[in-house]
Amino acid sequence: MMELELRRLKHDRTELYTRAIQPILWIVVFGPIMAAVKAIPTEGISYIAYITPGVLIQSTVFVSIFYGLTIVWERDSGILKKLLVTPTPRYATVIGRSMAAGVRAVFQILIIVPVALLMGVGFVPNVIYFILAFLIIFFASGGFAAASLFIASFMKTRERFMGLGQAITFPLFFMSNALYPISMMPPIIREISMFNPMTYLVDAVRGLTVSGNLSNLGLDLLVIVLFNLAMFVIASVNFKRIIE
Amino acid sequence: MDGVDLRVEAGRIFALLGPNGAGKTTLMRILTTQIKPTSGEARVFGLDVLRAGAEIRKLVSYIPQEMSVWTDISGYENLLIYAKIYGIPPRERKAAIEEALEKMGLREVANDLVKNYSGGMLRRLEIACTILIKPKILFLDEPTIGLDPSARKVVWEELAQIRKDYGATIFFNTHYMDEADLYSDEIAIINRGKIMKQGTAEELKRSVGGEVVQFEIKGEKISGDCWERLRALSMTNDVTASDSKISLVVGDAERALPGIMEILRSGGVSVERISITKPTLDDVFLKYAGTRLESHDRIGEVRHVRRMIGRG
Repeated sequence: MMELELRRLKHDRTELYTRAIQPILWIVVFGPIMAAVKAIPTEGISYIAYITPGVLIQSTVFVSIFYGLTIVWERDSGILKKLLVTPTPRYATVIGRSMAAGVRAVFQILIIVPVALLMGVGFVPNVIYFILAFLIIFFASGGFAAASLFIASFMKTRERFMGLGQAITFPLFFMSNALYPISMMPPIIREISMFNPMTYLVDAVRGLTVSGNLSNLGLDLLVIVLFNLAMFVIASVNFKRIIE
Repeated sequence: MDGVDLRVEAGRIFALLGPNGAGKTTLMRILTTQIKPTSGEARVFGLDVLRAGAEIRKLVSYIPQEMSVWTDISGYENLLIYAKIYGIPPRERKAAIEEALEKMGLREVANDLVKNYSGGMLRRLEIACTILIKPKILFLDEPTIGLDPSARKVVWEELAQIRKDYGATIFFNTHYMDEADLYSDEIAIINRGKIMKQGTAEELKRSVGGEVVQFEIKGEKISGDCWERLRALSMTNDVTASDSKISLVVGDAERALPGIMEILRSGGVSVERISITKPTLDDVFLKYAGTRLESHDRIGEVRHVRRMIGRG
């Protein structure tokens, strides 16, 4: 399944480039402007560096969340029906497709990191941390993609899916610590953000790549693993609904 | 579905013929374990679709009506992905893919993107994907919908070859009468979720009524003895004559013809011209389903399929 995505990307890379525009704008335009305001406490690193992991994750998670669209397309064509008649168990199909979305998502890293470097973001000079962050993003992208498959099994047309996708992605982004620390949020939003898996994901990646602060890493990883497992399970259970 | 009772023998080509909305696809989806029957029982090689879904999926292959390949990668890559999905061991993968490409005559276009394929090539690629695992039963839902006659012919030649090579049972849905007639060993007619009649094309047609044999003879009179003998051969016990034409209804025209010729010859009648009129499956359908089977394409469906391909 991952190979399928790689092969599709090989034949058509347009999506990689168009998807990269938005995060680049965040880092190149939004970052410097907000940095000039100096209103956000950023744990002693530059604001651009502070938001780089957040923007990175926003962009990978968005790719994952909209992966469900591919599944809706495959539902409209006959591919899903055929896949359900192969001996492959459903959960394997779901996890395979989800991690395939992860493959698509992590390509964002290859574009965003060089841009951030050009903008003078100082990364933690530790290859192992970096690889770990990469794997975490990849894994969590799979979880978000499974969430997307779950949504796709209810929203059977692409129009409905697009609508809901938009309605999910931005709250996920803004109600997380991607652009500002949770401590700055109004109390209610802060509560909500504690249930947002993106918050933990951003915290883990920020610690590993820019701030070097790994104090919450254990909790972050635990939340991400639980989130992924939960998403894999509900998406697998519900997967058959999509063709009905 | 309304009380479908159907038995299909292994190793045959079986056609489920019926108009749109008759329940053909639903039945096939139950048999391929995609949806569960709300009541009743279905078995594939003796395996219950409710309890032994996983085992059934190992034996069967299914091609949906719409399209089951990815259009943004090449034909070879589609086969490779399916080979992996089916769990064909890496050592055998290449050989299996090569064999499938060869069989379906897709070798030259193997590395082209599927979105550039014609409708017939697309179907052949889908069949290639399913024969990777040499299934025991191949389920095809409207295999030639939207294909032109020559592409349909090629697809069927390949399918017949597959059955010969692997001894696979082929179960297909169609609303094309000629397709059921030409390519199947056995046909079941389905309408409004009910199986109306099952049998070979010949049996079905015969069950509608006899075949009409008509002779044009040269002016001579036919003797009374000759009439009697002809009448004995006829199904309706009647022979009609007008001008220099005589016609009689028989069960199986090809079989009856030598006998009739013998009688006429011994009676000294010389025959100028013989014509045989047989009932068509359309007549069969009319008799059992009470309506005519529309044989023209559902343009909406075809457009839908086309659009899917175009969208890539």
